[in-house]
Amino acid sequence: MQIVNSHLILDACCVLNFCASGQLLAILKSIPVQVAVTQVVREQELKTLQRLESEENDAATQFEAAIAQSLLIIVDFESEEEAESFVNYAAIVDDGESATGAIAFHREWAMATDDKRAISFFRKETPQIQILSTLEIVKYWSEEAGVDWQTLRDALNLIRVKARYMAPKSDPLRSWWETAMK
Amino acid sequence: MTSNILDNIDLRTLGELLQQARKKCGMTQSDAANIIDAARTTMVAIEKGERRLKATELIKLARAYGRSVSDFVRSRPVIQPFEMQFRAAYQRSEGEEVQIEPAILRLEELCRNYLELEEIMSAPLPQNYPPEYEVTNMPLKASAESIAVAERQRLGLGDGPILRLRDILEQDVGLRIFYLEMPPKYSGVYSYDERLGGCMAINANHPEERRRWSLAHEYLHFLAHRRKAVLEFEGQYQRVPESERLADTFPKYFLMPTSGLFKRFNDMCRTHGKFTPTHLFTLAHYYGVSIEALAYRLEEMELVRTGTWERLRDRGLKVRKVQQELGLEDIPQRTDTIPLHYQHLAIEALDQGLITEGRFSDFLNVDRLEARRIAETLREHSSGMMEEASDFDLINMPE
Repeated sequence: MQIVNSHLILDACCVLNFCASGQLLAILKSIPVQVAVTQVVREQELKTLQRLESEENDAATQFEAAIAQSLLIIVDFESEEEAESFVNYAAIVDDGESATGAIAFHREWAMATDDKRAISFFRKETPQIQILSTLEIVKYWSEEAGVDWQTLRDALNLIRVKARYMAPKSDPLRSWWETAMK
Repeated sequence: MTSNILDNIDLRTLGELLQQARKKCGMTQSDAANIIDAARTTMVAIEKGERRLKATELIKLARAYGRSVSDFVRSRPVIQPFEMQFRAAYQRSEGEEVQIEPAILRLEELCRNYLELEEIMSAPLPQNYPPEYEVTNMPLKASAESIAVAERQRLGLGDGPILRLRDILEQDVGLRIFYLEMPPKYSGVYSYDERLGGCMAINANHPEERRRWSLAHEYLHFLAHRRKAVLEFEGQYQRVPESERLADTFPKYFLMPTSGLFKRFNDMCRTHGKFTPTHLFTLAHYYGVSIEALAYRLEEMELVRTGTWERLRDRGLKVRKVQQELGLEDIPQRTDTIPLHYQHLAIEALDQGLITEGRFSDFLNVDRLEARRIAETLREHSSGMMEEASDFDLINMPE
């Protein structure tokens, strides 16, 4: 995984998955560029993250800690052009994806999403945006940080069980995911 | 996407949507104008569709109204506001509007979502509607029974119990039925729109026997008074109109048809030599009706003595306790807020990449996590398989 842009902006589905893994901070630390989330996603998903919380998994706390440590920055629209693109995209995909895509497009950032609809829309609409997935980033973290197989398996299992994420059959990393989960 | 949607959108429709959203959260035009640093007259012009909004203004207003921007700009089916249909009912019963309006607005939103999903999937809800039954100046009981018999025949229900009444009305008739929370005195709401067809909301807080009765009651309104919106709540009328009396009479014939009930009652009496309270409980459970409803029906058919129910009640009969002692399980029921077909359209739209996960959550009115849980369950239920494995055409399956 190579990120050619200065920033990576995460969509709600990836935020949910990383928080569920219990390894949000570690994953963010491993990413070589600044990671961001839109204000729209933060507002929409904070309650969902709070639902993920349990003794062994403090998702919302991790999320806030990542912001406090500047591992994650919250961004909002800074120009009329960004706002206009957001509104245009919101006619097709929902607000979270639209905001993420609009900011990625105007600031020339990479974005991370697993959403089938959002991926097909942005690939067609803004082909210059680099789009990454949950699995690409988790794999990158496991390799960069030298994570042992047990920790990786636990993180992927937590994503599977707590965030109810399943790698799509069409995902190029599907077999990696299946092997790592064993 | 070179063109700007705010240049091409119907400003009048957008203005109306903004006005509805503002009113729903109790803000004045001045409050809204302050949010976008404009004069009240500007807000008036925006809501009339006479002034184009800037993207930043729309974002600010949507945030202030607690709505998504997508709600205002995506193409959605246009339906007549339900409020207009219920205006007469509101006027007749002062003070009711405040209590029931949230449920009606919710019903309207869910019906619009349903239609939107049908459009996305190009799969309109199949309707198997009979012509409206003519009941003017007909004797009440005879009309109710005759419609019940005709509908049972039309739907191939025989004269036995209708266990999955909600599913039959949703899938075999094509009605849009939602279970919504309402104040206790409300049992249901019926509405009709040319685009949507028949729509119902049933009070989710009531026990299943009562919900089934309410379903049958509202179904009669659909069959005989199709285009008249109805609110159902206790103590509504000083003098109950004929349309309501007919709707009150219909469920007993529809849920407990004379021929079937007579035969089963006789079988029980022949086998046991008597008809005991235990038999009454068992038979009510079999038909999915309350003990009271069955007792009155048997009294009316002169199979038990008049006043049987009152005597049982006066003896301190504890219905739930007896049901538990007899080991009668809950009658089959589906208590989901939204219809099955709606749920399946939503999951198909998600799996085919026609809607985002966020929109899927909105359609189901749950957060993303719960939406993922529901998606898994729906995929398992629809085929016992997960993901793409379930997305192929069995009709054209290669040998």
